[in-house]
Amino acid sequence: MKSVKTLASSIAYACLLAGSVSSIALAAECSGTIRVLAQPRDGLTLLEGHKDEFKKLSGGASFEIDYLNENDRRAKTKADASTIGKYNVYYVDEANVALFASSGWVAPLSDYYPAEYDYADFDPGRQKVATYDGKAWFAPVTGGGDLMVYRKDLLDAAGIKPPTTLDELKDAVQKLHQPDKGVYGIALRGQRGSGANVWRWMPYFKGFGGEWFDGNTPVFNGEAAVKATETYLDLFKYSAPGTQTGSWDESTGAFLSGQVAILIESTPLAGLAIDPKTSQVVGKVGYLPPPTPLTGGGYGHGLAIGTKANPDEASKACAGLFIAWATSKENEQRRLEANQFGELNRTSIMASDAFAKLYGPDLGQALADTGKVTAVNFWQSALWPDLGDRWGIILEELITGSRSDIKEGLAELEGFAKDLVARSQ
Amino acid sequence: MKPRTSLPAVFLAPPLVILAVLAFVPTAYAIYISFRNRELSRPDGSFVGLANYIDLFSDRRFINAVGVSLTWEVITVTLTLLVAIVLGILLFEFASMRQRAVLTLVFLVPVILPRVSAAFVWKFAFHPLYGIITYPYKMITGQPLDVLSSPATALMTVALVDVWQWGLFFAVIVLKLLETLPPQPFEAARLDHARRWEIYAYVALPMLKAPLISLTFIKMIESLRAFDLIYVMTRGGPGIATETLDMYAFSQGFIESGRISYASSMAVLMMLATTVIFTVIWKRVKP
Repeated sequence: MKSVKTLASSIAYACLLAGSVSSIALAAECSGTIRVLAQPRDGLTLLEGHKDEFKKLSGGASFEIDYLNENDRRAKTKADASTIGKYNVYYVDEANVALFASSGWVAPLSDYYPAEYDYADFDPGRQKVATYDGKAWFAPVTGGGDLMVYRKDLLDAAGIKPPTTLDELKDAVQKLHQPDKGVYGIALRGQRGSGANVWRWMPYFKGFGGEWFDGNTPVFNGEAAVKATETYLDLFKYSAPGTQTGSWDESTGAFLSGQVAILIESTPLAGLAIDPKTSQVVGKVGYLPPPTPLTGGGYGHGLAIGTKANPDEASKACAGLFIAWATSKENEQRRLEANQFGELNRTSIMASDAFAKLYGPDLGQALADTGKVTAVNFWQSALWPDLGDRWGIILEELITGSRSDIKEGLAELEGFAKDLVARSQ
Repeated sequence: MKPRTSLPAVFLAPPLVILAVLAFVPTAYAIYISFRNRELSRPDGSFVGLANYIDLFSDRRFINAVGVSLTWEVITVTLTLLVAIVLGILLFEFASMRQRAVLTLVFLVPVILPRVSAAFVWKFAFHPLYGIITYPYKMITGQPLDVLSSPATALMTVALVDVWQWGLFFAVIVLKLLETLPPQPFEAARLDHARRWEIYAYVALPMLKAPLISLTFIKMIESLRAFDLIYVMTRGGPGIATETLDMYAFSQGFIESGRISYASSMAVLMMLATTVIFTVIWKRVKP
């Protein structure tokens, strides 16, 4: 028995050693330039100042990052990955990871992410949205859920307590809305897109109990969707000008310039709101989780290994090494030191004393609380971008008055969803 | 008799072959895949005949995009020519040579600006909270003016930016054309007591018919390629109010669905319609 155990441990050690050696060997073979297609992120820009470090680590490889804004990045990654595949690493997000994975455009990251870089340290919510079909496909560079960020000074002046329920939110938004004084009750996203207006609408839909599909049958066309849309349109009466066809930039821009009382947005907003370089409301802002029953929109963006530009195992391993290095604890620590709140993804960093010292206990508590209501609101399917974008158009038409019948819009979307599923089969 | 030489053919053949390959291969491929159901996420796909073309005519976004494209063409071409002619005449009539030189330079600036930069500048200028153009309205009425969010005004607003770029440029061309005309017909008209507007309406502009028709065709073709301007300023919104055919085809091919066969069928139809319409107009208005 002992000899069997010895043999088993010997094999295990041999495998471990072989794995380590092959990993080191593959890493040592890295050369040339790893091409990355991404969207602008301060954390990625910071990496570019440490190219020598990666060159040393990889045995000679460098990297180049091309940046495109979110919508263009989505279109370009899709076009590149499905045709010539010139990029070794793609920036993907929760909305298109299913499409990229099921189409074979990216390789499972877990197969090439060196264990010593500790993938399990990433925030669990971000790991969840990076997972499709039981495998992790990207390492997060940003992500999180939603926070309700509000102007303490305005609420105090009006004698309003920070809302904790949707009814309280509606009431507060209405009372705080004073356009003649340049203050708007809320800022929503109206611009079409699965990651734009639909993203902000989904917490209402899911909060009211809505579901997208039951198997392959669309079930979203119901009371929850109607109520969510009515609520969203109702709140839009108090939304800052420019947000009717705007997205993240317009709504956060209006808040950070001091023109909005309450904003429910993705967590990186908190970092922007306390940074004097980007915010005119520093020191006036409070944080809470989204009012019940709203769910937080769990999301994550990250780096994935392209398959076409990395045809063999060695090049995939090099791309994996780059991603691991780019998202390592050391680089995350650099991002913390550079005050890049929205670029922090590791629990070890967010639970650190340095984090608490920099951002204070309130924000840490709000992040912990919002984690409890953060959910995957979208349909985790390769077909989601198509469906979400179509609803985005109908929703934008409802917001801007091109159409007024919510039920008709949902019926049109249901017909579209049925065609979409049929076409995919 | 000149000696026959094959030299012109030797020099002409390579570029013509390259041009033919560049022009015909993508076109032929677009026609080919428009008869299939190829999608970006599925490299296979099968022959579906005219299914993509038939589907287009029950697609409300396609029908809307045809309408938007036609409206865009009519508005931008008409306004550009109108602005160019009026400004060109005003410059010719009232500006000194020195003033003309300065204004010519100023009028050329918008068209030199990259389209995307111009679109961003104007998008910000029209912003309801911070925009310099909407600011006076906000000051007077106390209400913000959000022209890019209204389905009624969005297309017209983007068209104004297009006219700003091309109308001023064409005004310079019209001015230079007027400067090349012989003075005698103008003098004869004045001797006949023709009023100023009559001189231009019945003498100058008819003499410029051929170049003006050329300018019209250039603008018609240029207006078909307004994707970047509209994409940056409205992304086809609000809703689908400014979604032109090329933008919808791009959305279907790369942004939303990855349905490149469906997108190709739109591109093929657009190419056919453009060719037919331009040929008919060219034949009818040929100077």
